[in-house]
Amino acid sequence: MLPRTRRVRVALDVNGRRHVLQIPPHHTLLDLLRAHLGLLGTKESCGEGVCGACTVLLDGRPINACVMLGASAHGRSVTTVEGLSQDGTLHPLQLAFVECGAIQCGYCTPGMLLSAKALLDVCPAPSDEQIRQSLSGNLCRCTGFVKIIDAVRLAARRLAAGSG
Amino acid sequence: MAAATDGLRSPAGPLIGRSVPRLDGFHKATGRFAYGTDVVVAGMLHGRVARSPYPHARIRAIDTSAALATPGVVAVVTGRDLPERRFGALVKDETVLAVDVVRYVGQPVAAVAALAVEAAIEAAARIAVEYDPLPAVDTPEAALRAGAPLVHEAWTTYVAHPQLIRAGNVCGAATIAKGDPSRGLADADHVFEDVFTTEPVHQAYLEPRVAIAAWEPPGVLTVHSNTQLPFEAQTVLADLLGIPPGRVRVITTGIGGAFGGKLRVGVEHIAAVLAQRVGRPVRIVLTMAEEFAAAYPRHAMRITLRTGVRRDGTIVAKEAHALLDAGAFGGSSPGLPSVATLVLAGPYRIPHLSIEATSVYTHKQNFGSYRAPTGPQCAFAVESQMDMIARRLRLDPLEFRLRNIVRDGDEGPSGQVFGKVSLEAALRKAAAAIGWGHRRQPHHGKGLACSWWTTTGGPSAVYARLHADGTATLATGCAEIGTGALTAVAQIFADDLGLPVENVTLISADTLATPYDHGAQGSRSTFAVGNAARAAAADIRRQVLGLAAEVLEARVSDLGLRDGRVYVRGTPSRQVELGDVVRLAMQRHGGLVSSGTFVAPATPYKTDCVSGHFYPAFHAPSFHAHAAEVVVDPETGTVRALRYVVAQDVGKAINPRLIEGQIEGGVVQGLGQALRERIAYQGAYPLVHNFSDYALPRCGDVPQITSILIEEPSDSGPHGARGVGEPPIITPPAAIANAVHDAVGARVTDLPLSPERVLRAMRGRLEGAA
Repeated sequence: MLPRTRRVRVALDVNGRRHVLQIPPHHTLLDLLRAHLGLLGTKESCGEGVCGACTVLLDGRPINACVMLGASAHGRSVTTVEGLSQDGTLHPLQLAFVECGAIQCGYCTPGMLLSAKALLDVCPAPSDEQIRQSLSGNLCRCTGFVKIIDAVRLAARRLAAGSG
Repeated sequence: MAAATDGLRSPAGPLIGRSVPRLDGFHKATGRFAYGTDVVVAGMLHGRVARSPYPHARIRAIDTSAALATPGVVAVVTGRDLPERRFGALVKDETVLAVDVVRYVGQPVAAVAALAVEAAIEAAARIAVEYDPLPAVDTPEAALRAGAPLVHEAWTTYVAHPQLIRAGNVCGAATIAKGDPSRGLADADHVFEDVFTTEPVHQAYLEPRVAIAAWEPPGVLTVHSNTQLPFEAQTVLADLLGIPPGRVRVITTGIGGAFGGKLRVGVEHIAAVLAQRVGRPVRIVLTMAEEFAAAYPRHAMRITLRTGVRRDGTIVAKEAHALLDAGAFGGSSPGLPSVATLVLAGPYRIPHLSIEATSVYTHKQNFGSYRAPTGPQCAFAVESQMDMIARRLRLDPLEFRLRNIVRDGDEGPSGQVFGKVSLEAALRKAAAAIGWGHRRQPHHGKGLACSWWTTTGGPSAVYARLHADGTATLATGCAEIGTGALTAVAQIFADDLGLPVENVTLISADTLATPYDHGAQGSRSTFAVGNAARAAAADIRRQVLGLAAEVLEARVSDLGLRDGRVYVRGTPSRQVELGDVVRLAMQRHGGLVSSGTFVAPATPYKTDCVSGHFYPAFHAPSFHAHAAEVVVDPETGTVRALRYVVAQDVGKAINPRLIEGQIEGGVVQGLGQALRERIAYQGAYPLVHNFSDYALPRCGDVPQITSILIEEPSDSGPHGARGVGEPPIITPPAAIANAVHDAVGARVTDLPLSPERVLRAMRGRLEGAA
């Protein structure tokens, strides 16, 4: 048998739902999401905060969930890729990513979408340079980023036009 | 979520040449797509691998007692616990775990299975191995020196392909000999000799390799893995475990990037032996440190070219010698010198050729098949030298290439005869798009390069089935590795049956449920699986029309298929739903099913001019030209790519947007190798452990990229398609090196073109001028 590990209580909002969990103190926010809440959309890659695959929004700001302790998210609000689509309708960023060919293997996509959402939330009409800068923390090995930038531009335009 | 996908539906009508959204896009955009790292099996244990800290050492003893005493540990396995069975594609030189000797830093030595990941990590660290370090060879040159230690002392006892050329540390070699190169060089007005080197680069897929192995009744080993080649894994696992392949079910999970890094067995075999030992499922997820130390990255190469040219710029002879650092095991390396020789010859008419490439064992990880293996290294050498020669002869690099490129009906380096060659068009279009020859600003430069590549053959088979709701299932043994190739296959299949592409469900890459496929490799998926899908569609279409002819009381030849209906041509009101035809077939004989197969026709070549070849010709070859514009910072030597143009013969663009995605992604990977990426080594010790030590291109580094798709149909591809996935990565290092030279007059002959190398070359030029 494994020795029982100490647990800590974490209360947080994830995608608008309140959760109260008991988690091992060394578990990261990424562990919390994947292992404790079963939200597998957030991906792990480098595990040390350099690739951006695990990007989620913490109180609206993008962070790498792999280098933040789950316990530190106590009292905070988290948005993951599962929280982007509402009532069965894709978020304009999600739709634009699919339409523009911004997705290949897709492993970076959840993190990329959330970094892009963080940008558009504060900067609804970004320049290409602002898009590039905002996504520079997210590695993508498949697409060469061109169509990702296209997709963010398209989504921004649609959001501004209010057409979704 | 029907409403949500409405925006993704494609309008009716022909599907070939249409940029329909990829079929797995919705699931990937919503986080629901399951990758290897998302798959769990009830009751599974967690595996961890203990690896060698030495490049070469004798294992004196392994003490597993502390590891076994770790709470939560169920089993520890060492090489001595396993039957001595070896695996390898062309030479069986590798064991699952090291036995007596370790041959590279990172080689698996032991493995543990535990109830929790943390316990497995702790136990693996507690495996006490006593090593006697031995001298290591860290380069092919060192490994070929007289008296160098043999990486495999018992190499003569290994089972190997009979045509494989081996000798000591040489694990594969290939040559092309044509005409009389010494006479050719003697007759040339100028002979240019140049040496080029490259360093290893990594596929850097974001998802590490994962396997979950489980023994399921009645004695079937089921392995879920993010492998590109489930059928190769099936064969290797059956061999290693001593069970029939029919009892090995390998299922490819979703794949988070591969680029050739997930071709060969990497973790499946270790999970399988642990699962066998403990009688429970075992899952292993590799860490990024393991991925950088013990994967299948691109070979370091050293290439010497001697090229003889007449005064008027006609190339008459070429000698090339290339060494590939294979690392400690064969893997893909024994077969790749063959590919290298074809790229080293280049897409040029050269009457006298003497080309040899050799893979050499060293005490490093097993370098392997990264997207277009050997392509970027060889094209960097060939196309850099083309530029160097043009400038020495005061010829325009574009004109020099146009004078020498192969054309319609010409013979390739190994004697294959080309059909239509679109290289001149590619070069002219790329040059025009970059503004070749136009005046430039200081420290800005433009570079051109071109190359050619194969569409890998190999068999494909598919099963097809129509359902009573008018939808279809297509089962292929080929995995979707992210390129979207299977979406293109679905387009091809749906187009032949007049179905909306969304009505096709793909079942892929399951060695017991889907038919054999040569796999997602070598730019072949759309090409080969697409052809098999066409055959299956033709068969099932015949069946559909036969039944519909009865229902509609019409002749088969008068019937058409469109939008999920069979109609009578000329009287479209006489029609029947496809689903109704399927229901009729179900009552009559159990439904509508078909299969289709495809084997790429062999490309004839001259057997007497090649030796040691496993890829003697490039099937359905594609030709491509790249053009780059860069700016170089004269103070720091930093190169920035500003604009990039690719003109590539794709045969037929089944889905243009997917192809652009391949081009843009390949170019940016190529720019990474051109400018920054390298797996740094100190001797035989790797210094890269994660993305923080490995300079991947990021969003801000990417230039404006223009894709020009040339469509010169191939003889054998579906609708004339050629392979498109690998070519874009081949040419960027050369195009960039040529642009840097154009910008600052500095020639860098070693990859990557790091700022210090560029600065050094600039200083050398100034000193040389002084």
